[in-house]
Order: sequence, then C-alpha cells, then structure tokens
Amino acid sequence: MSRTPTLASRLAAHARARLPAPWRDQIDRLRYDDAGHGFDALGLHPDTIAVGAQALRWLYERYFRVVSHGIENIPAAGPAILASNHGGGLPFDGMMIYLDVLRNSAPPRVVRPILDHFVPGLPFVSTFFARVGSIGGSRGNVRYALEQGELLLVFPEGTEGIGKPIWKRYQLQEWRVGHAELAIRYRAPVVPVAVIGAEEQLPQIGRIEGVHVLGIPYLPILATPLPLPVRFHIHYGAPIDLPALYTAEDADDPEKVAAAAALVKEAVAGLIRRGLDEREGIFR
Amino acid sequence: MPAKRVLVTGATTPLGLEVIRQLLDDPAIEHVLAVGREPAGALPIAASDRFSYEQVDLRRSRERRALLFGVVRARGIDAILHGALHRSAQLSGRKVHELNVEATRELLHLAERHPTIERFVFRSSAAVYTIVGDKPSIIDEEHPLNLTPAAPQWIRDRVEADLTVCTYIGLSRLRIAVLRCAECLAPKTGSQIYDYLQSQVCLRPLGFDPMLNLISLADAARAQALALRSDEQGIFNIPGADTLPLSRVIARSGRIAVPMPEPLLGPLYRLRSATIGTDFRYDLNHWRFHFSGVLDGRRAAARLGYRPEAPLVWPS
Repeated sequence: MSRTPTLASRLAAHARARLPAPWRDQIDRLRYDDAGHGFDALGLHPDTIAVGAQALRWLYERYFRVVSHGIENIPAAGPAILASNHGGGLPFDGMMIYLDVLRNSAPPRVVRPILDHFVPGLPFVSTFFARVGSIGGSRGNVRYALEQGELLLVFPEGTEGIGKPIWKRYQLQEWRVGHAELAIRYRAPVVPVAVIGAEEQLPQIGRIEGVHVLGIPYLPILATPLPLPVRFHIHYGAPIDLPALYTAEDADDPEKVAAAAALVKEAVAGLIRRGLDEREGIFR
Repeated sequence: MPAKRVLVTGATTPLGLEVIRQLLDDPAIEHVLAVGREPAGALPIAASDRFSYEQVDLRRSRERRALLFGVVRARGIDAILHGALHRSAQLSGRKVHELNVEATRELLHLAERHPTIERFVFRSSAAVYTIVGDKPSIIDEEHPLNLTPAAPQWIRDRVEADLTVCTYIGLSRLRIAVLRCAECLAPKTGSQIYDYLQSQVCLRPLGFDPMLNLISLADAARAQALALRSDEQGIFNIPGADTLPLSRVIARSGRIAVPMPEPLLGPLYRLRSATIGTDFRYDLNHWRFHFSGVLDGRRAAARLGYRPEAPLVWPS
C-alpha cells in the first residue's frame, strides 16, 4: 500500500471510521483477489467501497428503506449471476441490490454489476464504479470475472428496461439472453431477483431520442424532479442451476440459450408478482 | 529441447543485461552470444567460454547475414532471443523501421534455413494491444491489436514486427514463442511510463484513473529465460507483479499527480518534449490513461511456468 496519505486514502479512512459496525465488519470480511496494491485487476478497492457505503447507505436505510427477502439464496462462494428487473429512470435498483448484498450476505460478498458499454467513457463515474466493483460490459471482462468466481449483476432488459414509461412498470421488456449464455458457458447458477419499488421511484413519461450526452442513449422526460421515497423490497429467488440443465456446449445453441433465458424471465416475473401482492403500498 | 546456446539481441539494454545474467546463472546454458550496436566493453560481463559479445548493427542486412552465418553458425547457437527494438518514441523513419521490423523479418528468414537454430523467442510488448473503453480491460492473447492507421510509427512498428513473427508460428520448422511483456518500469527499456515519471509533477486526465500492469526487470528477464527453456510455441502475455491505478503509480514514485482536462494534456506534453527533450508522448498513451489494460498471464503460467514474483522497487 502507498505510504503517501493521499486525499483519497484520508477520505477512505474517515468514511470507514464513521460506518456503523455491521457495515464495517462486512466490508472488512470481503474476500477479493488483491492484485498487490489493495486493488483487484478490474479496479475494485475495498476502501472505496467503504466510502461508497458511507455516502449512500442513507439512501438504503432512510430514503428507500430497503427490505431484503431471501438473501440466503445467494451462493456463499463461486460464480453466480443475479438477474433482475430494471426500471425507474436512474439505476437506483442496481445500487440498492449492491448495498443489500454488501450489508446482508453471509459470508459477505460484493456484487459486480455489469455496466453499459458507454459508462467506462464517463469521467469520475467510470472510476468510482470500477473501484466499487462494477465491470465494463465487454465480454472478456465478464468471462474473466466469472472464471474468478465473482457474483455478477445483470439487467437483461437493458436500457429498454430502465427507460420504460411509468405505465409499463413491472412489465418485463425484451429479455436479452446473454446472461443465460454466460451462465451455461461458464457454469454459474442464476439467481432471479425482483426489485419492487424501483419502477415507481422516478416516473418517466417520455424520452427525447437522438440526444447522446456523454454517450447516454436518450434524455428521459420525468414526472418528478427527484426520486420518490418509495420503499424498495428486494426479493432473491432460489438459484436456477442452468449448469445442471445444460452442457457447456449448449451455450452455442441459440434455442437452448433462449429457453434458459425464458426460465430466468419466468422466475423473475413470478417474484415480481409475489412482491407486488405482498406489499401494502408503494411507500410501505 | 531446452536451448543451450543462445543469441541475445538488444543485449546492451538493462533488460538485455538482466537476461544474460540470468542465462549465465543457469548451468544448463553452455554459451550466450550477445549482440549490440555498442563497441565491445559496453557490457560489464567479461568474455569467457560461456559468454561472448559481437558489435553488430542489426539495421544493416549485410551485418545480419554475416552474424547468423558467421559467428552464430560457428558457435552452434540453437536459439535466438530477439528483443532489439528502437527505444525512443520521438524518432521515426526508415532506419527505425529497419531495426524494428526488417531486422526481425530477416532474422526469421535466416533462422529458418540456418543449420543450427531451432528456437526463436521474440520479446514483443503489451503496447501492441488496443485499449479502448468497449474492449476488455483484462487483456488475453486474443485481444485486438492496435491496427489504427493513424497510430504513430512507434506502435505500428511493434505491431508489424509482432505479427510478422506470429505468422510463422506453426508453419515454420522453428519453434517460435512471442512474449508480449508488460511495460518494464526501468530506464533505457523504451518505457513511456518511466519517462513520464521523470517529472516531479505528472499530469493525468481529469476523472479517469485506469489500472496499469507493470513488470520488473527481474520478472521480464525470467520470463524470457523460461521461454528459452521451454519448447512451447505461441503467443504469451507476460504480466508483472504490480497492478495498480495510474494515480498510485505516480504516488508510489514520489511524484505529484495533477488531474487536468484531457484536451490540455497533448499540447502540454508536446511542449515538454520540445523544451526538455523528453521521450514521453501523450498521443501514445492517450487511451491507456483513460481505460484500464491489465495483461492476463494465465497462458504463460500454464505453459511456460511463468508467474510474476518480483514486484517493482518503489522509491522509499
């Protein structure tokens, strides 16, 4: 580690000291593949995770008041893919899943969200995301992460999901199949996830196409200037053992991959139905 | 069959010297023939029955032929470790290309019909890979090469030399290995980062802090020695033991990092080169100062037995 106390290292020490013990203990017990200077090869840095957790945990604890259901379904070790619904204009769903797994998984694991291809080109954002464990969406990085036994987070609906209008909330959009192919090829179970609340937090009523500020695919037109303080319920379903259902060679068969992705989609849709039935209101 | 009698080009660089030392430490090596453009005595190793030095200008075809069918044949050299590349990024032109590419091409041609040479190890570099945001930051051997037409000659020559050697793999009678080494943070190795760090203040793009992988002289030399001991053919990434962000490289080197808006960096570093005469070119490093590029060394680990062991020695 550097002997020079940089501004970043002082900030990290300050943030870590202010974290409540349960968060701090989880981060201290995180296992990661240190490439020699406190970072893993993809740029993950536990000190920055502490900064991120300290900066954002009020969103998790106070603003969205996240309730976690079924965290025990996340495998304790080895590669796995979390596949979730996506919506709400801004990716608070990804952020809350990340914080929920960090806070509650036992043993503690860090989620590696897969980013859209334009994110590595965004200044500051790209660096912060890399430090907290996000992975640029290129295939090589995803393969490497799975081979290293990481826990990935994907949103098979992609930008069509996060950009869905409020009247299409909780309706799964075109369900991409890449997660199923990766799970089959690299022998990882898929954990279906449903985030209830996120799709109402920032109602989108339209979007302006053709405006690509910093590579962002469109400009959303939002009904509220700030996210609504809805309550998030995150439901983790039982892992779908795609490696038991398919051989690695099946990853090259588009029909089998599509069938596997449909299994995951149905599981996520079932969790969404259950989550919507169980909640007592969008703020409760 | 492990090499026993080795020709080392680029011998007068710190890396060449370290390779020679490691080879001479191996009792299985019977002879090391070092060549360089500098006169005899440029290397601090005395000639012996296990070591000899020849002054050769590899930019000249006649000298290349004389070397291989003269002293190399006479000494029964069975392997070539070719690592002679022009180090300065500021120089370009025909003579630079002659050393970087044509010497490599002709050494291969000559080695193919040579009576004693069986092994050809080419020391390439990670600079041949393209680094952009939508490509993997973990770079395996199938990663796209930097074939951008607008790339400076420093890059184009390295890619052309690398591909020239790669096209022979499996088709030649020679057993060929191409080692794409991480950047060696040492003087006189052509390291852009080393030159970059010679300033007390190092400018870097605001908002970006990419991961870099750097290798020590000891590890780079050990990888080459292992390739000579092995019969394995193919392309091998050779990563170093140090993987860290650019900001940490600057801090560990005792320098001051100043993030600046990206458009200012090119003109400022061109001004630095013009006034101080330094070798660092921002246009060569533009993309890797934005996006991470870390070599995946699993193939070299599995087939050459190489794993990085010697971290860099940073200033205290």
